[in-house]
Amino acid sequence: MSEPLRDAQASRLAELLSQSALRNQSAFSELYSLTAPKLFGVALRILRRQDWAEEVLQECYMNIWNHAADYAVAKSAPLTWMTSIVRNRCLDWLRRPQQEATGDEYEIAVEAWQDENPGPVEQLMAAGDAAALGHCLEGLEARQRQSIMLAFFHGMSHSEVAGHMKQPLGTVKTWVRRGLERLKGCLEKGENP
Amino acid sequence: MRYRNPELGEKLAAEYVLGTLRGRARARFEALMRYDPALRSRVTDWEAKLTPLARAGTDIAPPTRVWNALSQRIAGEARKPRWWQSLALWRGLAASGAAFALVLAIVIGVAPEAQPPMSMVAVMNDTQGQPAMTVSWPSMQAVREPYIRIKVTQQHPTMAPGTEWELWMLPPGKDNPVSLGLITTDVDQVMKLTPELASRIEGAWGIAMSIEPKGGSPSGTPTGPVVMKGPCVKLL
Repeated sequence: MSEPLRDAQASRLAELLSQSALRNQSAFSELYSLTAPKLFGVALRILRRQDWAEEVLQECYMNIWNHAADYAVAKSAPLTWMTSIVRNRCLDWLRRPQQEATGDEYEIAVEAWQDENPGPVEQLMAAGDAAALGHCLEGLEARQRQSIMLAFFHGMSHSEVAGHMKQPLGTVKTWVRRGLERLKGCLEKGENP
Repeated sequence: MRYRNPELGEKLAAEYVLGTLRGRARARFEALMRYDPALRSRVTDWEAKLTPLARAGTDIAPPTRVWNALSQRIAGEARKPRWWQSLALWRGLAASGAAFALVLAIVIGVAPEAQPPMSMVAVMNDTQGQPAMTVSWPSMQAVREPYIRIKVTQQHPTMAPGTEWELWMLPPGKDNPVSLGLITTDVDQVMKLTPELASRIEGAWGIAMSIEPKGGSPSGTPTGPVVMKGPCVKLL
C-alpha cells in the first residue's frame, strides 16, 4: 500500500474508532468490515482452530466496542492497537492449560509457511508499509529469524519453538533474544539514518 | 525481579510483545506495566515495530455468524443503560440522608487545621444502601500536591484473597469511568493524584469502587462487581 493511502486508511480507522466510542453502530460495522479479515487471519494463525479464532475475534471486537474511547490515549496506529488486542487475547487463551493445541496441529499450521518459501518476510518487503521490518528480518541469521517468526506469527512459546526446530530450549531463547536485539538496532538505524 | 533495570525492562517488553513471555511472568508484567509509563511506552514501541509482521499473512474473512452475533450484542448493550448512568445511584443517596449527614460530619470534622478544607465529598453506599466509604478532596488549586482522602466506614471491610479494590471516578457526560487507583481496606487513606486526574476529578459527578483481579482492572474500565458508589457533593 502506498504511503498516502496508508495514512488515509489509518485516519479513517481512527475516525471510526472515535465514532464507535460514541456508540455509533454503523461506524462500528464499517470498522469491522475493514479490519476483521486481517484480525481473523492473525487470530487463526496463532490459535490454529477456527472455532477458537471465531470466539476470540468476537470477544475482541466487543472489547474494542466497549473501550474504543481508550484508543485516544493509546499513542499507536489504529490497526496496531487493534492487532495488539487480538494477539494478547489469543496468548491469554492459549495460557489456559486445557487449550494447549496438540503437536499435530502445529505441524499442519506451520507447513503453510517455511523459512525458505516466499512468505511473510517477502510479503512485508513488498508491502511498503513495513519494508524496513522486512529488510531487517532478512538481515538476521536464518535461525534467529525463524524462531522470531514462529513465536510472533504463530504464537509459539519458547518451548514450542524449541520443539518445532528440534533445538535445546536455552539455544532457542538465545536466538530469540539476540534476534530481537539485532532487529531493534536495525530498525532504529533506519529511523535515524 | 528488578523491573526497574532499564535493560531488563527492554528485554521483557520485547518478549512480551513477541509473545514469548508467558504464564505468570506475563501476568505480572502486565500488572507492572499498568503503573509504569516508561515500561508501557517500551511496549508501545515494540508493538509498532513488530505488529506489521502479524498482519503480513493472508487476510481471512471470518464467517458472517461472527458479525451477526456481535451486532446483536452491541444492539443489546446500546439499549441497556450503563450502571453509572442509572438513577439508582441517586435514589440510594436520598434513602440514606441521615447517615449521609453523619458521615459528612466525620469528613469535615477530622480535617486537620493545617490542611485546606475539603471541597467535595462522595459518600458511597454499599449494595445494601448503607454508607460504606467516603472519598473527599480539597480544591485542587489550593494544594501543591493533589490528593484525595478515602475513609472506609464499612463495619467489617473484607477483601477476598486474589482481589483488589479499585476506585473510579465517573466523569461528566457518558464517558467511561476513569481509574483513580487501587485502595486498601484501611480506615483512613490518602492517595496522591496526577495533575491530569486532579483536574478531571473536579468535574466528576460520582465515585465508585469495584472488585478487580490482582493488579487492578485489566481493561481500564470496571470489570468486576461495583460494590460501592455515590454521587459527588460540593461542600464549599
